[in-house]
Amino acid sequence: MRMKKKIILLAGLGIMLFSSCTVLKEYEKVNINDPDMALADRKIDKFQTTFQSYREAASGANGGKTGGGCGCN
Amino acid sequence: MIASVLAVSAQDDNAAGEYKKRVLEHTEIDILLNYYEQDGENAAVTGGRGTEELTDFSPTIIVAVPLNDDDVLTINANISAYTSASSSNVNPFDGKQPADPFVASSGASKSDVWGNVVGSYSHSSDDRNRLWNANLSGSAEFDYISIGFGGGRTWLFNEKNTELSLNGNVYLDTWSLIYPIELRPDEGSSFQQLVPGYDPSFNEHSSKGRNSYSAGIGLSQILSSRMTGYVSADFILQDGLLSTPFHRIYFADKEDYFYENFHLADDIEQLPDTRFKIALGARLNYFVNHRVTLRTFYRYYTDDWGITSHTASIEIPVKITDKFTLYPSYRFYNQTAADYFAPYNEHLSTEEFYTSDYDLSEFSANNYGFGISYTDVFTKGHIWKLGLKSIDLKYHKYDRDSAFTASMFSFGVKFVVD
Repeated sequence: MRMKKKIILLAGLGIMLFSSCTVLKEYEKVNINDPDMALADRKIDKFQTTFQSYREAASGANGGKTGGGCGCN
Repeated sequence: MIASVLAVSAQDDNAAGEYKKRVLEHTEIDILLNYYEQDGENAAVTGGRGTEELTDFSPTIIVAVPLNDDDVLTINANISAYTSASSSNVNPFDGKQPADPFVASSGASKSDVWGNVVGSYSHSSDDRNRLWNANLSGSAEFDYISIGFGGGRTWLFNEKNTELSLNGNVYLDTWSLIYPIELRPDEGSSFQQLVPGYDPSFNEHSSKGRNSYSAGIGLSQILSSRMTGYVSADFILQDGLLSTPFHRIYFADKEDYFYENFHLADDIEQLPDTRFKIALGARLNYFVNHRVTLRTFYRYYTDDWGITSHTASIEIPVKITDKFTLYPSYRFYNQTAADYFAPYNEHLSTEEFYTSDYDLSEFSANNYGFGISYTDVFTKGHIWKLGLKSIDLKYHKYDRDSAFTASMFSFGVKFVVD
């Protein structure tokens, strides 16, 4: 039940956050298209993500392994 | 194939005569190298007490080939060569020195190579608002083989300000059942003769398979001309052999037996044969100015083994010139313990499930990173037909609030094929 409330809260926050945004034209995306603004880990961080999937119980939601394919947790 | 791809022009018109930019202009090659080392005092192989010293060297190559205007094939090949003191103590009795959980053995399990190949294929629609991808993977280690497959769909809308993605993956893994030396059916009997009274109640696993199924959803949104955000959720179900066959367990209600300086196992780790995980993540990036960017990440994780976890990280890339960027980072992680965890020699033999793997214990960890990146968007530097696009170097230091530390050096170079 607590888990369900947390999911609903997170979804609500996401909707509130995203519903207030403006629509940018392509020529207005100069800052957004900066490589440092990518919404993903850098390629060089793939090793760190892999190491974490071995040494920590949590995984997923970060673009890395979610379980399986290794002798990790 | 690469040559024929390169012969195709970088841009083309589609059937309707509309301009269509290639998804990937040229073949790209990433070469990544990583050196990792760790040390600690709570090895799961020796029941939660013993050396965790380990070093690992991992070279990786990633080749992305544009097959036409819309399709990209990516091959990722990775090996991981490691030397592990704790794994060596699956058999600590090498005859060269008295066996001890804090001393590495020279046995066969001291070192190994993990190999992994992933092939993925992606296709984009003409208007670049739809994308699908599929992947196939295989990996092998001395005690483990795995095949995996998966796919995903992505939709862009709202003038490409919003992106929704769905993905699913399946991994089918098979263990080779390697048990601690003193518990093996053939070799274990000699320990019962050498150590009077030692008679562990050990049963071999009946299953060797582990299956993992994951489904994920992600939503990204441009929030302003300087801010962009992403939320995602992963749902993972695992079934089969989820415990590790060579992790020892010592029971508090059983008499302790030693051979040399080594505590002989009472049993091996026993964990439920299913696990359901939920991970919820969010990213928020902010473009401060043309030199500084803030990159943040948060994840909440929970599973039905009783673990909950929070992860928060921040990275602040700073462009010191038009080609060099420094990117310091900090990451905080904590987790609660699994319901089945207890330290060395504290489990009871009456329990159904038990582990002394400190990766499933309660802990907090701090991770400090510092990276430097060189980027030349015009790829002026060349090695044969390879144009140098970027070089990255990064260092990580990881400290738990238990006796565990790790550090990592990563190097990456990206080439674009002329």
